[in-house]
Order: sequence, then structure tokens, then C-alpha cells
Amino acid sequence: MNSWNSKFQQLASGLKSCPAIFTAALREIFDESAYARFLARNRLSASRVSYAEFLREHEVAKVRRPRCC
Amino acid sequence: MPKSLRILIWLAVAVLGAFALATIALHRGERINAMWLVVAAFCTYALGYRFYSKFIAAKVLALDPQRATPAERLDNGRDFVPTNKWVVFGHHFAAIAGPGPLVGPVLAAQFGYLPGTLWILAGAVLGGCVQDFVILLFSVRRDGKSLTEMAREEVGRLGGLVAYVAIISIIVILLGVAALIVVNALKNSPWGAFTIAMTIPIALFMGLYLRRLRPGKVLETSVLGFILVMLAIWGGQWASQTPRVAGWFTLTAPTLALLIIIYGFAASALPVWLLLAPRDYLSTFVKLGTIALLALGIIALHPTLHMPPLTRFIDGSGPVFAGNIFPFAFITIACGAISGFHSLISSGTTPKLIRRETETRMVGYGAMMAESMVAIMAMIAACVLQPGTYFAINSPAGIVGQAPETAAATISSWGFPITATEMHSLAQAVGEQTLYNRTGGAPAFAVGMAHIFSNSLGGQAVMAIWYHFAIMFEALFILTVLDAGTRVGRFMVQDALTHVWKPLGRTSWYPSILATSALIVGAWGYFLWQGVKDPLGGINSLWPLFGISNQLLATVALCVATTIIVKMGKARYTAVTLTPLLWLVAVTFTASWHKMFDPNPRIGFLAHARQLAMGAATAANSRLIFNDRLDAFVTGVLIFMVALILIESAFLWLSVLSGRKQAGVKETAFVPSGFAAEEQG
Repeated sequence: MNSWNSKFQQLASGLKSCPAIFTAALREIFDESAYARFLARNRLSASRVSYAEFLREHEVAKVRRPRCC
Repeated sequence: MPKSLRILIWLAVAVLGAFALATIALHRGERINAMWLVVAAFCTYALGYRFYSKFIAAKVLALDPQRATPAERLDNGRDFVPTNKWVVFGHHFAAIAGPGPLVGPVLAAQFGYLPGTLWILAGAVLGGCVQDFVILLFSVRRDGKSLTEMAREEVGRLGGLVAYVAIISIIVILLGVAALIVVNALKNSPWGAFTIAMTIPIALFMGLYLRRLRPGKVLETSVLGFILVMLAIWGGQWASQTPRVAGWFTLTAPTLALLIIIYGFAASALPVWLLLAPRDYLSTFVKLGTIALLALGIIALHPTLHMPPLTRFIDGSGPVFAGNIFPFAFITIACGAISGFHSLISSGTTPKLIRRETETRMVGYGAMMAESMVAIMAMIAACVLQPGTYFAINSPAGIVGQAPETAAATISSWGFPITATEMHSLAQAVGEQTLYNRTGGAPAFAVGMAHIFSNSLGGQAVMAIWYHFAIMFEALFILTVLDAGTRVGRFMVQDALTHVWKPLGRTSWYPSILATSALIVGAWGYFLWQGVKDPLGGINSLWPLFGISNQLLATVALCVATTIIVKMGKARYTAVTLTPLLWLVAVTFTASWHKMFDPNPRIGFLAHARQLAMGAATAANSRLIFNDRLDAFVTGVLIFMVALILIESAFLWLSVLSGRKQAGVKETAFVPSGFAAEEQG
């Protein structure tokens, strides 16, 4: 019975974290997380200048990333 | 959960899957519901993932949860970032899902729904998923090295060279055929051309908005871009109904081809943030949304398939493309079953994000299953159409005739009744002048998708909006592949040219950018132009060429994977990669042989050239003859290169197995994972 309860709790917590994971996936796909990491790594705040800097750094990785057929 | 209950559940899944497969395989003369395909697919994927991928993970690859991945060891917050497995899954899926799994199944539907469906399921579970999974893991164990680097290090210098040539070739042929699909979908369609033209200023606006107004707010910008694209679709209706504007956007195939070539060159040379990046975001946003919507639409409508399981065209006389079911069904559907291109993604960004080695199974094997499901949905979208409609859209004028009545009569004579009036009504319903001779798969898929969407939401009144939404979705998707692919190709050429003269390798030096962009655009532009001028619609020659090159790249990837497995001392498990490898060798070599030497002029390039040579000696004929010979030459070179890597790999396997060569893989040394320690402690 305990094992069923723990499975149920695991499932419930898994379902609860679904929206957060979904948002995180979207943020990763759309490079928002990469920008956040860039800001944290360089101790910068979000601004036009820092975004332009991020784009420069990110450009090489972005253009070398193939998109499948 | 008790073991007995687990066994019962998996037995039930197996029985249900077998029953669904038997239903789709054995029903004759009776229409079946599309849900049988969905159920068969889900059960097959579930069994494949639970048992086969687990076997590969445990026995062949021996995934080690204690071993640190490059994302953990080299974490720099930029290229190497340990990321949640579901996030990596989404990222990987967004990168591998392209127009291929939508177009290939639609074209292969000319054989009926059965061959394509069985190939998608078996090819994915036993081939495509395995390839993506093993290449991802091997790249993870080599600090995220690319396929070319792994081929060079594990197989030999020749292997590296072949991988490089195969990648460049597939990029060029893919971009040529992808552009041709867009041309065929947009020619003489002011609504479609207007909508797609509008996506360029929309992307430019998004680029400026993102850089100047809301830096870093990519999701918000993508939502805004999507709203603008929807307005463009709505505006397209106005454009098509306003004679003067419609005149500007009613473009012939050659004009569209030239415009796309100019666009490809500009997109490759313009700053990334201005056009490429925002288009990529917009396309990804639309892609993920539409795929989800299509899945919901199919489940909500659970439509009936009107296409029979097998058509008379399994004999090779198909109007969409010529060639027997073997090998042509298997090269027509590449993405969705097994696609060599995926090995580039699996050895690109994804391995640098994997947090734990054990997660490669879900990301590599699992994401390919999701892509395969997209291919099943495309097959359903094509097969819900009446077969007469499907063939009227997909058959070139050179086969069925130019006049609507002639085309309808020809198609009806094949046993797929259709009238010119029905086709005219359908064209009117989707807001087009005509739907005849729209080869390439995209328009047929769009009609099928519009059928599913409009029956689930909005009814016939919005059929035209849904059709143009689907066309926009595919064209946007393809044009993004086009500009991203041109850039990737350009970088690869620059990487190679740097050995000739260093400045040519500088990615910021404009003369080099312009020269290499022109080289890549010129190469795929040539194939596009050839397709546009082909009286048989171009798809007949170019799609098989693309399928062959894509599968040949998969052959290279599986050669590398088999070599590594042999060198790991796991030769007894080589069947896991050797079986799909041998199958692909059989398929691609047979298909290449047919495409080069088949005496039927509709199949063999050289036979077609000979047939043309017997006709009038016009300039147009001479060009077509040259194109046929060029296609045969390209096919021959690809096959020769892959034969070289096969021979080199086979010698290596034999040397290792006979003890003449010491086995040993070039993996990064083991470092214990901190994540594993965290979980245990």
C-alpha cells in the first residue's frame, strides 16, 4: 500500500512540475535561458547593449546549428 | 507495481499493437479509421522504447550513470550546460523535426497507406531511433564531437572525408528540393505568395523588436510574430481577391525560383539577428504549435482513410514518382523512419546539454519516436483525401495532361474517380484557381490538413484559411531550413577553404562570406532551377536523389557506430547497428543503380537522357540531357564515396575481430559524476 502511495505522490509531483518543465523547454528552445545564463556568467543586467553582446557571442553557435530536413 | 501486473500491462500493449497492425495490414476493400494507425504507432513505439532501447542502453552501450558528461565536466554556461532531460528532449525534437517527415510520407502515399506506415514504424524503432541514440551517446563520450570528427578518429581519414562530402551533398540537394516544394506550392497562388512574402518583413520587424525594444524576450516576440503571420494569412485572402494586388503576387515557377535564390543569398549574407534568428524562432513556434494542433485534430476527428492500403502503383508506374516499392518507398520516406541528417544534430548541440549519460536514451531514441509520429500524422493527412484528389494534386502535367478534363479522365482511368468539376470546387474551397499539377507533397498535405482542421474546427467555411495556414506553415518551415542550411553549408566550405588560404576561413570577412554564400546558393539554386524546368515536375528526379543522399549519410553514421561498438569489444551486439546499416546499403545501392541505369526513362537518369537525345536537338533538350547526366554523376559519386567508407570500416572490423589490430576507442577518460553523488547522498 505504501509503495502505491509513494508512486502516486511521485506521479502527482511529476504532473505538478509539467508546466514548469514545459516553460523551461520553451525558454531553452527560444534561447531565453541562454541569454539568462549569459547575463549571470558576465554579471550583467538585461539591456540592449548586453543583448547585442549576447547575440555576438551566440551567433557562431546559432548559425552552425543545422535544422533538419 | 507487482511484476506480474507489469507483465500483464506490456502483454496487453503488445496484443493491442499486433491487432492494430493486423487491422491496417489485412483489411482489403474496406476503409479503415486513421486511429488504427495511431494505435499501432503508439504500441510499437512503447514496446520499442521499453524493451529494445533498454536492451541497447544496458547491454550494448552500457550507459553509466556514474560517468560525468561533457555538459557537467566542461560546464561553461554557454556551449556546455547540464540541462533537464525534458528540456533537452524538446530542444532536440525542435531541431530534428523538419519538413521531411511531412513531405516524404505524402509522396509515398501513392503506394497506398500500408508500405509507408510499416516502414515508418519499423524503420524508426529498429533504425532511426537507434542511430540517433547511439550517435548521441558516442558524441557525449567524446566531448560532443561531430560526426565528421568521430568518423575521422574512429574509422580513418577517408571516413572523415566521406562524411564531409556526404554532408555537403545532402545539404545542397536538400535545399534544392526543399525550395522546389515551396515553388510548386506557391506558383500561381497569390494568396500563398503574399503570405510568405509577408513573413520576410515580419521577421525583420521581429529582429529589430528583439534587439531594440524588448531585448531577449524571444517568446514574446515569437507570439507577436505569429499574430502578424495570422494577419498576413487573412490579408492574403484580400490580396487574392483584389485583381491588381493579385497580379503582383501571381508568380510563375521560374520567377519564384529566382526570388528564392536571391532570398537564400541575402539571408546567408545578412546579419544573423536581423533575419535568420527571428525566422528560426517564428518557424519553431509555428512548427511546434501546428504539430500539436494536427495531433489533436486527428484524435478529435479520427478520420477515415480513403486511400487503399496498396495501390496499383506498387509496380513502379506511379505518377508522383516512378519506381518500385522496393527500394523507392524506403528512400522516399527518410525523416520519420531513418534520417542521416539527425546524426548531425545528435553530434551537434544536444550532446553538450545532456546532464546524465542515462538520459541519452530518452532524448536520442525518444525524440526520434516523436518525429516518427509526425510522419504517421502526415501519412494520415494524405490518406484522408479521396485518392483521385490526391493524384490530381500530386501528378505532373507531363503525366496526366495540362487540361483539367484530360487530367481528371486520366486519373479516373487508373481506378481513382475524379471529375474536373470536383477539383474546381475543391480549388475554390481552398481559395486557389487550380490544384492540378502541384507536385512536391506540400499542397496535398495542406489540403489533407485543412480537411482535418476544418472538420474539427470551423467547418467548410474556413477551409481556405486552414489550407493557407498549412501552406504558410510548410513554406515558413522550408525557408527556415533553406537559410539555416545555406549558412551551415557556407561555414563548412569556409572551414575547408581555410586550409587553402587562411582569410577564406574567416567567417567575418565579407569577400569570403559573399563568395562561399554564392557557391552554396549557386549549387542548390542549380538543382532548383533544374526541377522547375523539368517537364515531369522535378520531384520525380530530385526527391529520390535527396532520399538517397540522406540515407547514405545514415549509412556513414551507422558505419561509425558499428565501428565504435566493435572497438568497444561488443562485437556480439553489432547486429543492433549492422542490421539497419545492411538494410540501408541494400536500399540506397539498389535505388542508386535504378536511378542511374534503369532502362525506364521515368526512372533512370541516363535512359531519360538517351530518350531526349533521340528527340529534337533544341537548347532546352540539351540542358535536360546535361541535367540527367549530372544527376547520374552525383548519384555515382555519392555511392562511390559511401562504398569507400564501408570498405574501410569492414577492414577495420575484421582487423579488430581477428586480433590484427588492437581494439580501443577514443573516448574521454572516465570522471565520476557529481550529479550521481548528489542523488546518492
